[in-house]
Amino acid sequence: MSAAQALANPLAAGPAVPRLPAEESRTPARHRKRRAGAEDWVASLVLCGPAVLLYGGFVVLPAVLGFAYSLTDWSGWTRTPHYIGLANFRELAGDERLYSALRFTLFETVLIVLFFTFGALLLAVLLDKLSCMKGLIRGLFFYPYVLSILVSALLLKYLANYNDGAVNLALRWAGLGRWAQDWMMDPQLVGYFIFGMVAWSSLGFFTTLYLANLQTIPLELYEAATMDGAGPLSVFRHIQIPMLMPTLMTNSVFSLIFGINLFGQIVVTTEGGPGYRTTTIGYYMYWLGVINNRQGYASAVSLAVFAALLAVAVAQVALLRRRQVEL
Amino acid sequence: MWTKVFIGVGVLAVLGVAVWAFRSEGDSAAERTIRVTRNIGGRAGFKRHFDAWQSAFERKNPGWKMELIDLGNANGAEYYKSRIATGDLPDVVMTWQLTNLLADGGHLVPLPDSYYERIGIPLPAPYKGKRYTSQGGMQIQGLLINKKMWAGIGVTEPPGTWDELLAGFDKLKAKGCKPLVYGGREWSAFEPLFYAIATNVYEREPGPGKPSWTILRNQGKVRFAADPAMRLVLEKMIQLLDKYVDKGAASDGYNEEQKLFYGGQGATWMMGCWIGGDIDANKVDLDLDYWPIPSMTGKPPLFVETSGMPSGWAITTSAAGPKLEKAMSVLETFWDPDVFQLFLNGEYQFNVSSRSGVKQPKSDWPPAQRLADTMLARLARYGSTRGFHIALDDMPPPIMMDNTFKAVMQEILAGTRDVDKLLKMLDDDWDSGLKGM
Repeated sequence: MSAAQALANPLAAGPAVPRLPAEESRTPARHRKRRAGAEDWVASLVLCGPAVLLYGGFVVLPAVLGFAYSLTDWSGWTRTPHYIGLANFRELAGDERLYSALRFTLFETVLIVLFFTFGALLLAVLLDKLSCMKGLIRGLFFYPYVLSILVSALLLKYLANYNDGAVNLALRWAGLGRWAQDWMMDPQLVGYFIFGMVAWSSLGFFTTLYLANLQTIPLELYEAATMDGAGPLSVFRHIQIPMLMPTLMTNSVFSLIFGINLFGQIVVTTEGGPGYRTTTIGYYMYWLGVINNRQGYASAVSLAVFAALLAVAVAQVALLRRRQVEL
Repeated sequence: MWTKVFIGVGVLAVLGVAVWAFRSEGDSAAERTIRVTRNIGGRAGFKRHFDAWQSAFERKNPGWKMELIDLGNANGAEYYKSRIATGDLPDVVMTWQLTNLLADGGHLVPLPDSYYERIGIPLPAPYKGKRYTSQGGMQIQGLLINKKMWAGIGVTEPPGTWDELLAGFDKLKAKGCKPLVYGGREWSAFEPLFYAIATNVYEREPGPGKPSWTILRNQGKVRFAADPAMRLVLEKMIQLLDKYVDKGAASDGYNEEQKLFYGGQGATWMMGCWIGGDIDANKVDLDLDYWPIPSMTGKPPLFVETSGMPSGWAITTSAAGPKLEKAMSVLETFWDPDVFQLFLNGEYQFNVSSRSGVKQPKSDWPPAQRLADTMLARLARYGSTRGFHIALDDMPPPIMMDNTFKAVMQEILAGTRDVDKLLKMLDDDWDSGLKGM
C-alpha cells in the first residue's frame, strides 16, 4: 500500500505505516484532491457535455428565442424581426380560432387521458392474466407504437377513405354498405377518428408501463387476499389499483402531454379540416407560423400554451400525489 | 493511461482530417453547382424537361453542374423558410405567390430589363421599382370536359353562364353520370371557389384608375361579408357541392380526382391546363375538351391565367457573386427551343416569348395533342383574365390560396349553410394573413 493510499484510508492501512508530518502530507494531498476533482470535471464534461450541448441547442435556445420572437411580428421570411412589444399577447385574448383550437384539443385530450389512464389499465390487468401466447398478444398490442406517428397516420388515412378505404370496402363486402362512412372528414366522426388513431398507435406503450408495474406487486399480497376470500374485483380494487398508482400518475401525465401535443396525425390526415374543425393547438401554431407566415404570433401562442400546460401538469401531479398518499 | 489518450487524440485527428478533406471537396463542388428548385414530384413530363434543361446548361457551361431540388407537390414555402434561416437558399427558385415575401426579405436578385428583351417576353410590372421573376409560359385554368359524356346530353359547346353549366350537370346526373369530379381533402378543393372569385368578384381588366378588389380590401373599402358578388359566389358553391358532389368526396384528394376523371367516371373536372402533361404521360384515352369558366354575374365566359409574371408559375434567382452569372445562364437556357418545348409538353402551357420559336405543347399521343389544339383554340376565342394574379403589390395574402379557400369549401361539405359564417372565415383569414406579409 502506498503512502497516498494509507493517507486516504488510514483504517485500511497495515500496522506498520509511518505517519508523515502534518505539513509534509498536506500539500500532495491537496494536489491529488485537486487533480481528482479535475479528472471528475473532465469526465463529467465528456459524458454530459454532448447531451447538454444538444439539449441546450435544440430545446433551451429555441425556447429562449421563441420568447424573443413572440415580441415581434416576424414572418419567417426576413432576417430582422420587428419588435412590437406585447401586441401578440394582446391579440391572443380575442383570437376566436385559438379558442376553437383549444376546445378541440381539450376534447381530444380528455378522451386520450381517460383512455390511456383507465383503458390501458384494464387491458394491462387482462393481459397479465393471460395464460397462453402471452408474449405474442402483448407484442401485437405494442407493435403499432413501433411505427412512426406519420406512418400510422398515413395508414389510417388510406384505411378511412370513403370510396377506396379498406374499412368501407370490408363493410360493403360484408353487405353492410349502409354503415360505410366518411370516417376521416365527416364532422360528426372526425374527432373520434383522430382519437382512434392515437389510441391504436399508443395503447401498447401505456399498457406496457402498467404491465411492468404489475410485475412488481408482491405475490404475497395476492395470496393473502385469496386466503381472505377476495375475488378478482376486490383484488383489482384493493391491491392492484393502489399498487399501480405511481404508473397511473405517470400515464395520466404522459397522456395529457400526448393530447396537448397532438400534431403529426393532424398534418398527415385532416390538415385541420374539415374547415378548421380539427385544428389542435399544435397544428394552429404550425398553421400560423409556417402556412400563414406569422412566426411571431405563433411563438406567443406557444408560450401561452406552455404556461397553461405547465400549470395543468403541476396541478395534476399534486392531485394524484395526494390521492396516492391517501391510498 | 497516456497510451489511451494518445490513441484517442490520434483517432480524433484522423477523423478531423477526413472531415476537412471531405468538406473541402464538397465546398469546391458546391462552388460550381447551381441549385434549382422545381415541383416535379411524380410527373414524368416535368422530369423530362428538367433533364433536358440540365443537360443544355451543363453543355453550355463546362465544369458547372445544375442540381435539382425537387419540391414535390409543395409550393416551397416551408423549404424556403428553412433555407433562409440557414442562409442557404438555392440559386434559382420557383416562387409562385411567394415572390414578394422573398423580395421583401432581400433574397431575390432583380432581373435586368435586357434579360426580358433577350428572351422576348413582355416586361412584368415592377415591384418597388424592380422586376424579379420570369414566367415559363402562359398557364390557364378552366374546365376539363369528357366530350362523350357531355355530347350524350346534347352539349358540345361551352355553357354561356354558370346556370347553364348547372343545367348540364342536372342532365348528366339524370343520365346516371357523375357531373363533377371533386375532392375536398387537399389543395384542389379550392379550385371552384377560386374560379368563381377570380371571374366574378375581380375586375377582368384592372387598370391604373381601377384599383383591384385586393387593393380595395387592403384599404378597408370592401369586405367579403359586405360584397354581394361574394355572397352570390358562396351561395352557388353551396348549391354546387350540395347537388353535384357525392358523399365521401371530402376524403378524396387530387389523386382520387385524377383516377376518377381519367377512368372516364366524371364529366367535368375544374383543373388547370397542366393536366395535359398527365394525359400524355399516362396515355389517357379520352376525347377531351377544355372550356372557359362560365360567369355567375352575366359576364362572358373566359379562362383564368395564373402565370402572370410576378406570381403563379415564376422562376428567378437569389444567387450572388460569381454564381449570379451562371444562375442567369440557367434562366436563359430555359428558353432554349428544345428545352422550352419539353417544358410546354410537361406543363401544357403556351408560349409567351416572341423569340422562342415554339408555340404550344406537342405530343405523340393523339388525345393529348387534340387537347392542346383545343385549349389553344378556346383560349384564342374566349380570352383570359388574371383574376387576382395582378402584380406583386396587388396580391391577396398567400394564406387565401394556400389554405382558406379550401377550408371554406370543406366547411360547406361539412354541412355549413350559414353564408355569413363562411364570409367571416374569408375576412378573418385575410386580416390575419395581412399581418404575415
